[in-house]
Amino acid sequence: MLQQHHQQQHHHHLQSAITAAPPPSATTSTPPSSTTGEAPPKQVALAMDRLGQAARLIADIRLGADRLLEALFVASQPHQSSKPLHLFRQEDESMRQHLQDLRTVGKQLEESGVLNESLRSRSNSWGLHMPLVCPDGAVVAYAWKRQLAGQAGASAVDRTRLALKAFTDQKRRFFPHLDDEEDGEGTDTASKKHRNLPALAEDNQDNLGDCKTLSDVLTNLEKEIPNLKVSTYERLDWLKRASSLPASANDNTMEAPKHNFHSTSILRPALQNVASMDKVAVIELFFPSIFRAVVSLHPAGSTDPDSVAFFSPDEGGSYMHSRGSSVYHVFRQITEHATVALQYFLGIRSKTALHSLLVWSLYKCLNCYSIFCSYFVLMMYACISFCSTGYAATKLYSPKSASMVCFLFHFFFSFSNNYSPRLVFFSGNKTMNPLVQQMRTAIGNGQAISFNLTSCPSSLSNSFCFKTFIDSIYFLNIRSRF
Amino acid sequence: SFQFRFSFFFSLPRVFFWQPNAGSTVNSQILNEVSQCVESINGVKEGRWKATLTFYKPMLRDQALSAEFPREFIGISLPEQPNKYYFVLRFNKIVLESDSSIQLIMEKLQSYKSRVALNFEGFQYQLGDFQLRVGKVVPSHSENLRGIVMEVEYLPISSLEKSKQIMEEFFDIWQDAISKRSLPGRFIHIEPDFSDYGLADHYTSQHTAVQYTHVTSQLIASVQAVQTGRN
Repeated sequence: MLQQHHQQQHHHHLQSAITAAPPPSATTSTPPSSTTGEAPPKQVALAMDRLGQAARLIADIRLGADRLLEALFVASQPHQSSKPLHLFRQEDESMRQHLQDLRTVGKQLEESGVLNESLRSRSNSWGLHMPLVCPDGAVVAYAWKRQLAGQAGASAVDRTRLALKAFTDQKRRFFPHLDDEEDGEGTDTASKKHRNLPALAEDNQDNLGDCKTLSDVLTNLEKEIPNLKVSTYERLDWLKRASSLPASANDNTMEAPKHNFHSTSILRPALQNVASMDKVAVIELFFPSIFRAVVSLHPAGSTDPDSVAFFSPDEGGSYMHSRGSSVYHVFRQITEHATVALQYFLGIRSKTALHSLLVWSLYKCLNCYSIFCSYFVLMMYACISFCSTGYAATKLYSPKSASMVCFLFHFFFSFSNNYSPRLVFFSGNKTMNPLVQQMRTAIGNGQAISFNLTSCPSSLSNSFCFKTFIDSIYFLNIRSRF
Repeated sequence: SFQFRFSFFFSLPRVFFWQPNAGSTVNSQILNEVSQCVESINGVKEGRWKATLTFYKPMLRDQALSAEFPREFIGISLPEQPNKYYFVLRFNKIVLESDSSIQLIMEKLQSYKSRVALNFEGFQYQLGDFQLRVGKVVPSHSENLRGIVMEVEYLPISSLEKSKQIMEEFFDIWQDAISKRSLPGRFIHIEPDFSDYGLADHYTSQHTAVQYTHVTSQLIASVQAVQTGRN
């Protein structure tokens, strides 16, 4: 019954999506010059409409992705009948439809110049700018909206309202947890986070009961992840160190930072100075050949992180600090995710050891996500590195445990015009390389589900799909752990 | 876009060369298709690049002594190191980095002469954190296309071992993209054993020099195979 209802809802949505699309649907197949026949304000309004549709479709896709993952989770439980398979098929159909719709909308948007600045070079735009969608998904609409508002003679109140809306959107994007606390609204993901909270709080309190001080936290961390090198610095000392990075290749294993926290090696002087723990404001996490992360604590000596940033192990310079930004896309993306995770943890746990959670969870995630820690990180790199080009491949693996889901994903998207993307979930017999096979035998049996999507030439739909999926997976997995 | 690299280490480029199918040869149409393919996956053209590879022969008064000299003595110039010149003795597994003025010295001393010189030249593309160079292989002073090479570099990581998996992933994606064009051949990469040359895991330009040497020998072998096939 429920499934039928869902089908009907979906169908209804589909219909509304079609009717909501502007009447000249023939514009998708005709060359762009025909759209310039419409007056620029109309084009801009149409573009904004379509962006709204795209946003709704993307939200649907996010929900669909969540449902797919939940269905996989159900499938991994014992004694399941064909119910998960049915759920999959159903979600498969609705996802295909959403993606198809998104593709249509995306194409229209591309032609109208929303995704690039081609409209600016066209004459006769009446000084209006099309809303621009940046590669990372942000929509720059304020400028033109202000123009339209100005042209329509909007009052100062209207303009202020538009400005406030733009700023609120930004705030919601970067500080989602603040949004939840203040106005009680939340996305699906956020509300689920809160639901999981009580069960997790008790669990983790036990584990981290003895991690009250900074040194405890860092000691545990180093024990937890053997290859990770943790060092602590006072704030100014870190700046000096950052400028002298990277150490030469030979020194990588022999560096002796000022306050080397865990000095188990004979080669390093034992520098654990308890008194100076009070002044520690920067923590450096160095995973050789993989990354270097900088976490800042505020106030110094506490376990309250206030920012985090990731860099390549080979980067150096005074721009490397916890609010800095790497020169590489991949580390910028990881930093973004880490910052959101940080905000999340700060939001849900105001009393317990925030720091331990942040660091522990990030690296626990990385560690758990693959048998070989570096493999996941590299795969994550591969997909994120391609993010800006539109290609992505990512493999995520999560080991079995009481509360965690057990499956192996392989997502493969592409964004070129000639290529049809596949979304493949597999934990079955299909393999791409021996390492994956090893992982699979470690997981045990599972299901192999493969979705072959229709071709999606629109870069809008593809980049949003990609980001959406990765965000969903990321938060779903964060959620399922904590 | 954010261009400058603050990295003190360079990451390892992987050099691929075009292997035409049996019965077909390399031509400039294939090069065009490859370039278009890179652009279709949103590669951003950055500029030109050029590397050179020269086979030297010793200038001897007594030609009988030539057997005492190494069989293949190769000199390589790389675009990322304009002040350096690299020598590779492929059969002796030796690679050497020297100043680029060595070429002038060799000329003045009349010790070695260039026997065959090849140019690798083409365009450079940026794909996110990857850098791609697509180029043709032509003898210097000639436009006769001998081969096509592609150099892929993953910038954030300089460890050979760690970047291997990423490169493989990239190559899978690349293969999928290029196979759509149904070109008569494919790119292959044969990893030379760097430890034979005494090179460490951490990448240097000497690794690239060794790769180019190997790529060239493979290109020559495949060209010769085609020729013997004809004859």
